[in-house]
Amino acid sequence: MTMIGLEIHCQLTNLNSKLFCSCKANYRGCEINENICPVCMGLPGSLPRLNQEAVKKATMIAMALNCSTPQRIAFFRKNYFYPDSPKNFQITQLNIYGDTSVGGAGSITVGDKKIRITRIQLEEDPGRLIYEGSSSKNLITLVDYNRAGTPLVEIVTEPDFETPKELRIFLNILSDILANLAVTDPTLEGAMKADANVSIEGGNKVEIKNIGSFHDLEKAVHYEITRQSSLQSRRREIIQETRHWDEKRKITVSARSKEEDLDYRYFLEGDIPWVRIESDIQTELQTKMPESISSKKERYTKYGITSQVADVLSSDKYYSDLFERSHTESNAKEIANIITTDLMGLADTKERRLASKLGAGHLRDLADSVLSGAISRNSAKDALYDMVKTGRELGDVIVSLNLGNILDKPKLTEIILQVLSEESQAVEQAKSNPETVHYLVGKVMKKTGGKADPQLTLEILEAKLA
Amino acid sequence: MNLKISALEYVQGVKNGDISAEDFVAQTMDRIKSIDNNLCAFLSINADAVIQAREIDKKIKSGKKVGDCFGMPVSIKDNICIKDSKTTCASKMLENYISPYDATVIKRLRQQDAIFVGKTNMDEFAMGFTTEFSAYGPSKNPWNQDYVPGGSSGGSAVSVGAFECVASLGSDTGGSVRNPASFCSAVGYKPTYGLISRYGLVSYANSIEQIGPICRTVKDAAFMLNMISGVDSNDNTTIDSRGTDYLQDIECDIEGKKIGIVKEMTGEGTDPAVLSATKDAISKLEGLGAICEEVSVGMTKYSVAAYYTITATEAGSNLARYDNLRYGYDFPLEGYEYNSYIAKARRNFGPEVTRRIIIGGFVPSAGHAGRYFLKALKVKSKLTKEVNELFKRFDFLVSPTVPVLPFKLGEKIDDPVSLLAIDINTVTANLTAKPAVSVPFSNHNGLPIGIQLMADSLQDKSLLQAAYALEQTVSLPEVPI
Amino acid sequence: MITEKEIEHVSRLMRIDVDDHKEYVAKVHAVIEYFDILDSAGVESEEISMPEVSISGLRKDVHVPFDEKLIEKLNHYKGTYVRAPKMSS
Repeated sequence: MTMIGLEIHCQLTNLNSKLFCSCKANYRGCEINENICPVCMGLPGSLPRLNQEAVKKATMIAMALNCSTPQRIAFFRKNYFYPDSPKNFQITQLNIYGDTSVGGAGSITVGDKKIRITRIQLEEDPGRLIYEGSSSKNLITLVDYNRAGTPLVEIVTEPDFETPKELRIFLNILSDILANLAVTDPTLEGAMKADANVSIEGGNKVEIKNIGSFHDLEKAVHYEITRQSSLQSRRREIIQETRHWDEKRKITVSARSKEEDLDYRYFLEGDIPWVRIESDIQTELQTKMPESISSKKERYTKYGITSQVADVLSSDKYYSDLFERSHTESNAKEIANIITTDLMGLADTKERRLASKLGAGHLRDLADSVLSGAISRNSAKDALYDMVKTGRELGDVIVSLNLGNILDKPKLTEIILQVLSEESQAVEQAKSNPETVHYLVGKVMKKTGGKADPQLTLEILEAKLA
Repeated sequence: MNLKISALEYVQGVKNGDISAEDFVAQTMDRIKSIDNNLCAFLSINADAVIQAREIDKKIKSGKKVGDCFGMPVSIKDNICIKDSKTTCASKMLENYISPYDATVIKRLRQQDAIFVGKTNMDEFAMGFTTEFSAYGPSKNPWNQDYVPGGSSGGSAVSVGAFECVASLGSDTGGSVRNPASFCSAVGYKPTYGLISRYGLVSYANSIEQIGPICRTVKDAAFMLNMISGVDSNDNTTIDSRGTDYLQDIECDIEGKKIGIVKEMTGEGTDPAVLSATKDAISKLEGLGAICEEVSVGMTKYSVAAYYTITATEAGSNLARYDNLRYGYDFPLEGYEYNSYIAKARRNFGPEVTRRIIIGGFVPSAGHAGRYFLKALKVKSKLTKEVNELFKRFDFLVSPTVPVLPFKLGEKIDDPVSLLAIDINTVTANLTAKPAVSVPFSNHNGLPIGIQLMADSLQDKSLLQAAYALEQTVSLPEVPI
Repeated sequence: MITEKEIEHVSRLMRIDVDDHKEYVAKVHAVIEYFDILDSAGVESEEISMPEVSISGLRKDVHVPFDEKLIEKLNHYKGTYVRAPKMSS
């Protein structure tokens, strides 16, 4: 049996400040080594100042993943030397003296499978290394510490996955949950990363690190399973080790860690007292938690929205927020359909979402106009496209693009009479078989560029054919 | 001008117009120049001290509000950061390190118009109790320059004892304020853990150490606590004590107070002269109406081993940041691979620091963590319980500060294990987070002896009252310098 | 007994070059041997204790930039990078 476990690192990008100092949590866009201070640079004498909101956000993640949340959390030092680590230790969490990390055992349901969460811990991100130089001889290492001290939540799973595909589905669900909690923006580069561990048929466990994206994670795990199976079929030993994903060659390579690199000498961080998370604060966090994706989905289906549409809509925080702000009891289904069939294609990337000028009011107007027959579904698409681009009011868009439905009875009757004269054969058919009247409706639509009000067209046609 | 006055006398003198800050500071700087070549109390001097004092005089003359220190010359141990000044920790590793920020205690003293005359000598990274482990040579005891001044805040105690400043700040990890205060006949105060912010104190063993004042009198120590104590948002381990005035009611008597004489700190291994001074102190305390009784702290036997296990572990981690990449001393990295570069760069640590770093790698490493480190934490916890039990029945605990008299320079430097026993009376306060003070009490053949009083957590105010009462019973010779 | 090999291992772990490992064997051994006294302290059942704070006492999540360009006061290279030696592959 193949057993795969994950360690997912999620940056709390929505915080204002780092985990232990007041520098920016979201370092993106800063000049090199601009977002630093004595604390995150580990200067002599500086002390960590724990960010209250980071503890709260991490606790909320634990709650959303059905983890136990202890009343008291502790921090530990993980000691290792690396140039991206200004103190040469990382402040992190462990459960060696009882359950003291922000989250204990929990689970996420993926399809009909339960993936168990081992623990959730709050820790600091290191800085970033940049290698420069053409050959290994003149290679130099440059360090940018802007990221050092950024709050990270590490989610450790049990080895409950069996295939690389399950990983992808799980990670999609997980990033939707985290985005829905508004703790992170998973679309930001480096906001979410994962390491995997793989063992097959009860063999030794191999950890894979340095995986750049979720896409590569699937590939890396797939490669590793193949590698281990091949070793096993040749009756070779699978060594328990850490391997790195080589992005260029698409293979995993042994990290050949030295023995002393694995001895992290964990011990309690004395600069941060144990933090009590009192039960009233836990309750407050519980009540302040954004509605879960599954509860949203359930609520959406009550509007008559199909389960499939509700699923897509509730999983995406950007669109579900837009839906929440625009819908009413009567237009909910129409709005859900507009979002999932049309808007998702128009604002599919982060950049396009940012550039979109579409507001909740636009959507509400659009759905109401479709429902009242003032605009056809076809024209609605054009109007939506325009409003996303320009942010103009729907009324202006309809006028300027001439999208309004022909609701004027004499004008529509004139067009219909013209169609009837051109389609004498179809007219005869419709007279004997009323079902075929839709062919004529289609012709009217074609002539009006889709702007004829379908209900009114049918009414007039039926009167003329009677 | 009399440089031997206490901090309170200085403040009063400036307030009355009897003393000008500029004159006093200028003469203090002259004295440092003339005697410190021999004493080596200072590692660096503030060249602007006199100008800063002049500014304070101007402020006073123009009737502007002046801080409570009125330009008082204060020396600062070289492991406490002063913005734009060198902070070397008496190490070659930080030979050229200039701090870009002020420690919280420095910020507070600055706001109260104290003048920092210079940074004082110490054992490298505060590891030691003789100041002989300074990379820049040992400080000398002003009572006899062939003798060690104690440590690790040796330079601070010397600067106070030899009138090179009015008061000083040191740091106390296992006795580093109280020990040199005892050896140099000064008052050394280690507050309740968390009473004074450690922000800007270069960490050695952060879970137990505190900044503490070294002063001429107990009242001066109380005054300094008023200046620097109190909760600090930059240090999560500080406790809220603001509003406490440590000087108020300091003369309150100690009649009826119960004092425990710690058996394990007054027994075997204690120098006869120190023991007799301690007995004398006990009868003086009884003379003041206190009720003294022998008590036992059984865990004392294990305290030094627990202390060294914890300090080595924390030091090994705290000193890991000195890899010479972001700051440090001049040592080009061209041609080196990362690991070999930092291992070479870190050779600039002195032998004692290197030894403790190695012990600090050994003790918590995967194979030994349970054996040593966890046990040390448990000893710490059990010791705290024992001491807490005692403080239910007693107000104070008394012992000699150091079980031996000051010894000669070079006498014990090569014997690590026999040196360990010197800490036995002081480490308990650090391991249990309790306040403790060393009061100058006696002088044996020209060598000072201090008495230590310890109180329960946050009983700093009553501890100072007891220390003051004891101080009033003695009259000591003047330092022969 | 601490061996020379152990000293070598720990000095590598702690990234500190030591000229003569032998020199440290006796010194470290003496101290570690002294620590063995902890075995007889009878504290196995003891719980460790740590100071505690309430979450409400922790720092509020506000961005406050450091008041100076800190990197200019630290070692910097090629603009505002920090330079490290080359990494072993």
